[in-house]
Amino acid sequence: MSDGRGVVRAHGLTRRFGEVTAVHPFELEIGPGGITGLLGPNGAGKSTLLRMLIGLVPAHGGTCEVDGQALTGDGLLIRERTTYAPGEIATYGELTAEQHLRWMLRGRDAGAFDRARALAAGFSLPLDRRVRGFSHGMKRQLLVAAAMAPDVRVRILDEPTEGLDPTRRHQVLDLLARDAESGTTVLLSSHHLGEVDRICDRLVFLRDGRVLDEEHTTELHRRLRRAVRIAWEHEVERDTVERALAAFDNVRVDSKRAVIYLDEDDPRECIRRVAVLDLPPPSSLTYGELTLQDLYRELYGKEGI
Amino acid sequence: MRRVSGVLVFGGIGYFLIVELSLVATILYWPDFVNSIGGLIDLARPLPVVGEMLEQINDLGFYAYVSGQHYFKGCNLLGSVAAVMFAVGTVAGEAHRGTLEILLARPLSRRRILTERYFAGFVAFALPTLVATLTIPWLAGFVDEYVDLSTVLMGATHEILFLTMVYSATVLLSALASNPTKIALGVLLPIGFAYSLYFVKRLTHYSPLRLADMYDFVAIEETQALDWATCGPMLAASVALFVAAQFAFARRVP
Repeated sequence: MSDGRGVVRAHGLTRRFGEVTAVHPFELEIGPGGITGLLGPNGAGKSTLLRMLIGLVPAHGGTCEVDGQALTGDGLLIRERTTYAPGEIATYGELTAEQHLRWMLRGRDAGAFDRARALAAGFSLPLDRRVRGFSHGMKRQLLVAAAMAPDVRVRILDEPTEGLDPTRRHQVLDLLARDAESGTTVLLSSHHLGEVDRICDRLVFLRDGRVLDEEHTTELHRRLRRAVRIAWEHEVERDTVERALAAFDNVRVDSKRAVIYLDEDDPRECIRRVAVLDLPPPSSLTYGELTLQDLYRELYGKEGI
Repeated sequence: MRRVSGVLVFGGIGYFLIVELSLVATILYWPDFVNSIGGLIDLARPLPVVGEMLEQINDLGFYAYVSGQHYFKGCNLLGSVAAVMFAVGTVAGEAHRGTLEILLARPLSRRRILTERYFAGFVAFALPTLVATLTIPWLAGFVDEYVDLSTVLMGATHEILFLTMVYSATVLLSALASNPTKIALGVLLPIGFAYSLYFVKRLTHYSPLRLADMYDFVAIEETQALDWATCGPMLAASVALFVAAQFAFARRVP
C-alpha cells in the first residue's frame, strides 16, 4: 500500500541504555495485515523495540513509521493509530475492571469501550470487581481486551498470552488470528514457540538487540523440514565433528548435536555421505523432525517454552 | 488513578481543615496574646529574630499577628507539606507502582498528561489556602478586629505563589526520579532547614522563607498591592520549573 496503511516500518532504529546498546540498528517492514512474532530470550530487546515503535522509549537513531505516520515527538500520532498491550502487568487496583477499561480507552473511538466490555465478558472477567482482587492472568486479559477493542489497523502486543492458562491462551490466539484475517497488522512478542508457530505469518528472532534470523513462517517450516539432525548420547569433540562435516555448506554443531541444513528436499544423498564419515557413532539420525523449539535452541543455546 | 484523585481530594480537605482550625484558634487567642505580648517580647530576647517579629506585632497589631501565624507558620509549613505530598505522585508515584507504562501508552500526549496532573495538584493545595485565608475577615469580627478582603486576597495570592514554587520544584523531581518517599524527604528536609535558618540572626536573610514571611504580608496591607519584586520571580521560577518538568517528562522512559 502506497499510503503505508497498516504497515510498520523501522529503519536503523537504535536505542542505548548507558553503555549498553539495547537495540542495534533495526530494520523491519511488516504489513499490511498478518501477524509477526518477535522471538528471543529475556533481554533480547523485544520490549524495548515495541516501546520504541509507539514512542514510549525515545530512539537514539533511525526512523520509524506506523500506519503511514512517522514517529515524531512523543509518538502521540502513532499511539492514536495503534493499540499497545504492555508486557509487564501493572494496574490500578483501586479501580473496578470496568473503570479500568474506561480509563485505558480514554481517547479511543466511541465504540471501543463497548467492544472491550464484550471482550472482557468473553474472558469471563467480573467487570464490577476491583482489579486488586484479580489474578495475574485476569489482569493480562484485561490489558488484552483494552488493546483489542479500539478500531485501529495496527496492534503491538508485548507477550499478550504470558501468564494465561491454556484455554485463555487459545482464546486470545484465536482472537488475534481473526483480527489479522480482517486486515489488522499484529506485531507481538512471545517466548511461547508453540503459539507463534501456530499463528504468526512471520518471525523475527532477536538476540542482544540484534536481528538474528528473520523468515516467513512457511519458509522457516520448509527449512526446518530440510534438516538432517545427528545426535550423540555423550559429548563429542566439536572440532572433530566440524572437520568431518566440513564438506556441507550449512552446518551447526554443538557438543552433543549437529544439524545439516539441505538445499533440496531429498536427504538420502546427505545421509549416505554422513554414514561414511569418520564420526563417533550417533545415538540418533533424523530428518524432517526439527521443530521451532529446535531452531530456538540452536539460535540461543537454550530452551524456548 | 482513583487513589491519586483520592489523595488530592481528601488530602486537600484535610489540609484545609487543619489550616482552618489553626486559624480559628489563632484568631480567638488574639485578645489573650495582645495582653501578654510585653512578657513574650522579654522572653524572646535570646532570639532576636523572634523578638523583632513580636515587636512588629506589638506595633502593627492584629494583621501582623495573623500574618505571622497563618501565612508564615500555618501555610508555609503545612502548605509546603501538602504541596509536596500532592506533587510527588505526579510521575514518580506511577513509576513506583509500575503503572507509568499504561499511563503513557494511551493516545494522550505527555504534555497533556503532565499539565492535567500539575493543575489538579495545584488546585488541591491552592484552593484550601485561598478559602481558609478568605475566612480571616469573618473570623476577625469575633475578636472585634477588621481586615480588608482585598488584603487577604492579595495575601493568599502571595502565599500561593510561594507554595507553587515548592510544588513545581517537587513536580520536576517527580518527573526525574522514581521514589516518592525520597523525593518528599529531599524537598521537606531543606524546607525544615530553611525554617531553622530563618530564626538565626544574620543568616535569616539567606532563608528562602524570607520570600513569604510576616513582613511581606504586612507590607501588602500597608501598600495595598502585591510586591511584584518578590511575586514576579516566584511566578517565573514556578513557570520555569513546570517547563523543565515537561521537558524531563517528555524524555522519561517507563
